[in-house]
Amino acid sequence: SQLSNQRAAMPNIKLQSSDNEIFEVELEIAKQSNTIKTMLEDLSVSDDSDDPVPLPNVNAAILKKVIAWCTHHKDDPPPVEEDEYKERRTDDIPTWDLEFMKVDQGTLFEIILASNYLDIKGLLDVACKTVANMIKGKSPEEIRKTFNIKCDFTAEELEQVRKENEWCEEK
Amino acid sequence: ILPVMNGYQVPPYSNGNSGNGAGPSGNGGGGSGPGSKFGSVSLLSVDPPNINERLPKEIILRVFSHLDLVTLCRCSQVCKFWHQLAFDGSIWQNVSLFEYGKDITGAMVETLAKRCGGFLRSLNLRGCQNLNDSAMRAFSYHCVNLERLNLSDCRKLTNEACKHIRSCQNLLSLKVNSISNISDDGVRYLAKCERLVELDMSWCNISDEGLTRLAQSCRHLAALQLRGCRDITSHGVAELSRHCTGLRVLSLYECGHNIRDEAMQALGANCPELRTLCLSHCGHVTDTGMIGLAAGCGQLRNLEVAGCRLLSDSGFQALARGCPQLERLDLEDCVQVTDITLAALAAHCSHLRILTLSYCELLTDDGIRQLAGGLCAPESLQVLELDNCPHITDTALEHLVACHALQQIDLYDCQQITRSGIRRLVGHLPNLKVHAYFAPVTPPGQPEPRRRRYCRCCCSLL
Repeated sequence: SQLSNQRAAMPNIKLQSSDNEIFEVELEIAKQSNTIKTMLEDLSVSDDSDDPVPLPNVNAAILKKVIAWCTHHKDDPPPVEEDEYKERRTDDIPTWDLEFMKVDQGTLFEIILASNYLDIKGLLDVACKTVANMIKGKSPEEIRKTFNIKCDFTAEELEQVRKENEWCEEK
Repeated sequence: ILPVMNGYQVPPYSNGNSGNGAGPSGNGGGGSGPGSKFGSVSLLSVDPPNINERLPKEIILRVFSHLDLVTLCRCSQVCKFWHQLAFDGSIWQNVSLFEYGKDITGAMVETLAKRCGGFLRSLNLRGCQNLNDSAMRAFSYHCVNLERLNLSDCRKLTNEACKHIRSCQNLLSLKVNSISNISDDGVRYLAKCERLVELDMSWCNISDEGLTRLAQSCRHLAALQLRGCRDITSHGVAELSRHCTGLRVLSLYECGHNIRDEAMQALGANCPELRTLCLSHCGHVTDTGMIGLAAGCGQLRNLEVAGCRLLSDSGFQALARGCPQLERLDLEDCVQVTDITLAALAAHCSHLRILTLSYCELLTDDGIRQLAGGLCAPESLQVLELDNCPHITDTALEHLVACHALQQIDLYDCQQITRSGIRRLVGHLPNLKVHAYFAPVTPPGQPEPRRRRYCRCCCSLL
């Protein structure tokens, strides 16, 4: 039919960042974001509409990163139902994603917030694992330095939590 | 002029790969920041963003959910907020202490039990050999929502531990294998966990009495491992089959001579859902049992009968006819098997993926010819183990060219197989992995030691 021809010819969608930059992306790529997917369905925005989808929580720099990730992962199989008994691992980040995540910490946090808002589970997971990897292997003091956290325990409290956790430290 | 840092845009850190290196090292003017060429960078105190200000609690919890136990404990010492988050029950649903093994003592486990409380769903204490019964009391008291519990190799535990475990009424999966102190008295307690679907009691000290008690109350059992339970007899298996008719997986590996045809017949009569059965080294089963099994277990996918030397072609013919879904069949050391069995498998079993025929010494090239012309040959057959089949020659390999899906063939100690025969086969099937060994010409090589046996079905089960 004519309609389906139109759809096939216009598979793109426009996304508008918080700082009013417009990005044109393939519909299938954008739909990795459940938020965008739901918006399109709920608002029944027609595919051939030229109006950009506003994303007031994501700036252009971050949106560009997110689109790059979604483009690279567009052929990924849909996320499987999480096995809640699965072993916790963070060493299974694909090489491309490892490179992708080599950004400053502020950007990394922005990517996390954006993928959370846009509901892109794969990206959120890999970004959270990246932060987890920044925590692993560090002492409490090193963790504080890494994330600019102030220790608000009193000396006595600190001694108490240290004792509390003695059991799981290397024998 | 200070370089304009776009909002929070701070110099890139090393993503935490280098311990302290992730700190604000830019202060020293080490050249890591984009503004270092201005020389004034030392005035700019560049701190990494504060994670607690940037990310909401739910996200930090999500990060924590990827962390192991030790790291979580360290996180709890960072600040008050993290202390609270690190002990948020939602991230303590799934705990494994396997890697700490012998270092785990009862006191640690009791602390853990208190912390995890009702949130704990899955607990793996495999190999914690110093764990004693009172530690299990802590878990059963604090963690009543436990669904999966792995106590494999916790050798200090006794029936007393089972008494505590019975309070975990939500248990779906339990492994107590290799705890030799567990006997029928312990099983009587475990039988109170009526929701159990999966149970491994291999190498426990149990007999028909315990098994019967268990079967009577745990009607939902779908997978039961009884490897090496040598006191179990056909009677116990029959009771099991009568009560647990939904059984899908059963291993009686090395249960010995008390497992006889009556056991197989009962399974055939009562357990139509059976998918995986291991009877390896239950040396007294015969064709009569196999015929009874095949008559009722049409869904069987995976059968191991290694070392069941009384089985012969008529049993396997019945199996091939009755169980056309078969995917794996281990006939190692079934010395009576001839080409007739292969012909039957070829005619009926189109899904056969893995076929072990090691030490089936009567097999000839003609049997392989029939297999290679059979239903499983074009697409299914992936692994064929023919080691120690003395009559197999290069002619057999020529037939196997028809097995396009073949990925692995074992030809150890097939005296009549030559290097050039293998080369020709690999010429047709370039991705084939060939396991063969040719002794050096001089001096004569040591004969290959016989492969260690293990229970294939049990590795693939859980």
